[in-house]
Amino acid sequence: MSDTVPAGDETLSEAGSPLPALRRRFGGDAVAVQRTSDDVPTCWVPASRAVEVLSWLKSGVERPYAMLYDLTAIDERTRRVAGSPPGTDYTVVYHLLSFERNADVRIKVALSGDAPEVATSTGVWPAASWYEREVWDMFGIRFAGHAHLRRLLMPETWTGHPLRKDHPARATEMGPFTLPDDRQERETEALRFDPGAWGLERRHEGEEFMFLNVGPQHPGTHGVLRVVLQLDGERIAGCVPEIGYHHRGAEKMAERQTWHTFIPYTDRIDYLGGVLNNLPYLLAVEKLLAIEVPDRAKTIRVMLCELFRIASHLVWYGTYAQDVGALSPVFYTFTDRERLFDVVAAICGDRMHPNWFRIGGVAQDLPRGWDRLVREFLGYFPARIDEYDRMVMRNRIFRARTERIGAYDVGAAIDWGVTGPGLRACGLEWDFRKKRPYSGYENFEFDVPTAQAGDGYARAVVRVEEMRQSLRIVRQCLEHMPAGDFKSRAAGAVPPIKDHTMHDIETLITHFLGVAWGPVVPPGEAFAAIEASKGSNGYYLVSDGDVHPYRARIRTPSFPHMQMLPEIVRGLTVADLLSVLGSIDFVLADVDR
Amino acid sequence: MKWWITPAAAQRTAERPTANPSLEDAVRRSVALARLDDLIAWGRKNSMWPFNFGLSCCFVEMATSLTSKYDIARFGAEVIRGTPREADVMVIAGTVFLKMAPIVRRLHEQMMQPRWVVSMGSCANSGGMYDIYSVVQGVDKFLPVDVYVPGCPPRPDAFLEGLVLLRDAVGRERRPLGWWVGPQGIDRGPRPSQRDAKREERMRATTLESPDEI
Amino acid sequence: MLWPFGIYIAAAIAVVAAMIAVSYLLGERHDDLATGDPYESGIPPTGSARLRFPAQFYLVAMFFVIFDLEAAFLVAWAVAAPELGWLGYAEVVVFVAVLLAALGYLWRIGALDFGPTESALDRGRGREGKGAS
Repeated sequence: MSDTVPAGDETLSEAGSPLPALRRRFGGDAVAVQRTSDDVPTCWVPASRAVEVLSWLKSGVERPYAMLYDLTAIDERTRRVAGSPPGTDYTVVYHLLSFERNADVRIKVALSGDAPEVATSTGVWPAASWYEREVWDMFGIRFAGHAHLRRLLMPETWTGHPLRKDHPARATEMGPFTLPDDRQERETEALRFDPGAWGLERRHEGEEFMFLNVGPQHPGTHGVLRVVLQLDGERIAGCVPEIGYHHRGAEKMAERQTWHTFIPYTDRIDYLGGVLNNLPYLLAVEKLLAIEVPDRAKTIRVMLCELFRIASHLVWYGTYAQDVGALSPVFYTFTDRERLFDVVAAICGDRMHPNWFRIGGVAQDLPRGWDRLVREFLGYFPARIDEYDRMVMRNRIFRARTERIGAYDVGAAIDWGVTGPGLRACGLEWDFRKKRPYSGYENFEFDVPTAQAGDGYARAVVRVEEMRQSLRIVRQCLEHMPAGDFKSRAAGAVPPIKDHTMHDIETLITHFLGVAWGPVVPPGEAFAAIEASKGSNGYYLVSDGDVHPYRARIRTPSFPHMQMLPEIVRGLTVADLLSVLGSIDFVLADVDR
Repeated sequence: MKWWITPAAAQRTAERPTANPSLEDAVRRSVALARLDDLIAWGRKNSMWPFNFGLSCCFVEMATSLTSKYDIARFGAEVIRGTPREADVMVIAGTVFLKMAPIVRRLHEQMMQPRWVVSMGSCANSGGMYDIYSVVQGVDKFLPVDVYVPGCPPRPDAFLEGLVLLRDAVGRERRPLGWWVGPQGIDRGPRPSQRDAKREERMRATTLESPDEI
Repeated sequence: MLWPFGIYIAAAIAVVAAMIAVSYLLGERHDDLATGDPYESGIPPTGSARLRFPAQFYLVAMFFVIFDLEAAFLVAWAVAAPELGWLGYAEVVVFVAVLLAALGYLWRIGALDFGPTESALDRGRGREGKGAS
């Protein structure tokens, strides 16, 4: 395999890489290093030793890798350029994060055969539970020892594993959809909750538990989320969240869209985030293509990302207050969001899903007059945040409904893979914009708000302060917007800037191919993550030397947050559940993709 | 049903009622006469209660249309009901996922007559840009749809236009009064295609704004 | 003398019967698969709603027995207190003590607790973070 690096190569001695220590501990043949297009040390370990290696990385190595950032798989069977040891059918990828080193490591396990299996890592991190269920659902890889290895995103009655290369992608390839009565009855019965299958008791000490569906259609779940509650009176004794009702197959869609035409699909992953979603995908593609983004494009990207962060937090703010009973703030925050959308629509052309970023920069230059609009918004908005402070954050009823509700400490947060405001509300000052600056964030002055209590109110405090800091960044973008290109002129940045194309035939051909096919990305893999409005959003792209990704893994922040729900709500009342759901600030498309 | 509202400007210049109006004038000012069917249709039309049901991104735009700037309350529709028993209009706002399809159908069955369905957004109309294994290509594969609102997502204004079209269509509908009296079918009035209705106006648009200037 | 009550009762029954009859006669009918099923966010319910609820939900009945009937008896005793003398007083003290014991028992088994448990509210102050920078 061309990418495996033999022992003794300079990659092993990079400062911060755990691979030398890993080799010393487990032996040279147990650890095979792979070079990737990003800076993440990657190595292959045999399936039989995977859990041992992970467990050692979590607690044995010095400055350990405390968080399981992502767990996914790749179907290697139709690769043209080998990216794995020969004979590999499936790769399981473990992506770990170390706060102390501020570095990641990627452990890969090669599996083969029709019934691939590896031991579960839920004993090492509880967060692995849903990731492993998703890999089972999408790839058919079994995790031996997992307590409830059931489908997560597809319905229980589905056959087949969608992300396998032999599974059809299009709905139009699978026959017309009909819902006759017998199918309706079968599917409805399959939805009925069976407590025994989840290990939940029906009765306890002479009382019976009630199993209540806070179902997919509920005003408090903010979308199609199903939470089955085991209720002891009003108190929650157990909770089983069920997701998958919002699964749009974005990862499978990436495999048949070109690198350029996939950008609109990224917009709709966190549908409140707009262009904030384009950024991690494009950063990863730009790593694969080794494209440098010009400074003006970086600053435009930062400005729009912060504006969308404010927009997303405004929706959270209004709906969170509404969840706990304050019905007025939502009208105010949505009106402010309209003013923000005036700015965004003038620059990007659309309100909610602009898909305006492009490979190598942004779609167009800023229109003349944009600074007036942004200045108006900057003059208008700070007073509104103060007004909401008085209306919501200092409101005694709001505090009573959110303080001490849905609390967790920083150890639990790291164990469950929490990032973003949820982690900062526990006291850990970790913001990827500061720790791993991207797209020019190192040039901006802003603070990272934290809180101590780790409850719903603390998360609210962190998000409100984040809005103020985002305004600060936007003001700096406005005042120091550099001149220059809005998109790179490198070969891979499509669609190419048009001013050259009409002069000679070569550039016209290049332009045509760039628009029709998009870039052909050389084989390799890259990972890029940003601090999205809900946490850390990362894209892990694998290229086979083609016009479309071979595998696009989308690591979303709300997925581990949702997984943590049963731990947070046990012992609280049903009314508190809705307060907790509001404080987590998830978006269903972010959970299910 | 014929009823009047006097616009404010006209009121200032209108004749003051005379001291002794004729019987006909007095009756016309104080009594409204209507056929029962028309009165019921008018009542239904002006109080369409949406179902609190949203699937995806379009639901955020639907929620935005409830807020102050777009104000769906002007159309009598701010009473969002969480239970299908009390709701009139089910707005399929967002992608219809395969896993949700039986639930959507179940909720629609649990709605009481009269009930209408608005398909909002490209994903609900036809699957939109998601021709993928887990998405139903359009909610009309298993539900009868009254109004299709295109867009990805449709602006709140577009959704309100769809709602107004539905209102007008509901105003033209005649439904049976009871199972024991009157014609039993639902007489849906004409529902003209908006594409044809707006074609003339759209053909006249020759100037498009440039994106280079605000 | 009683015939106005008779008319009133008959009128009440007639109004209610009219309302039920009119809602039975008017409107359209439909009966799809799930129309008659209980609504639970689109999912068929698990189990029945006839459960053995925890004791808190019988608070009203408990407080009625403990305080309301007790008050009735106390009022009856108070009316006859002078005649009953010290023996009657002692008996009433025993009566109140037994009911107070019942209240104490309910307090101890947590029948008066609503709301989240204390352990659930204190989760934010747990173990120290591991691996924090």
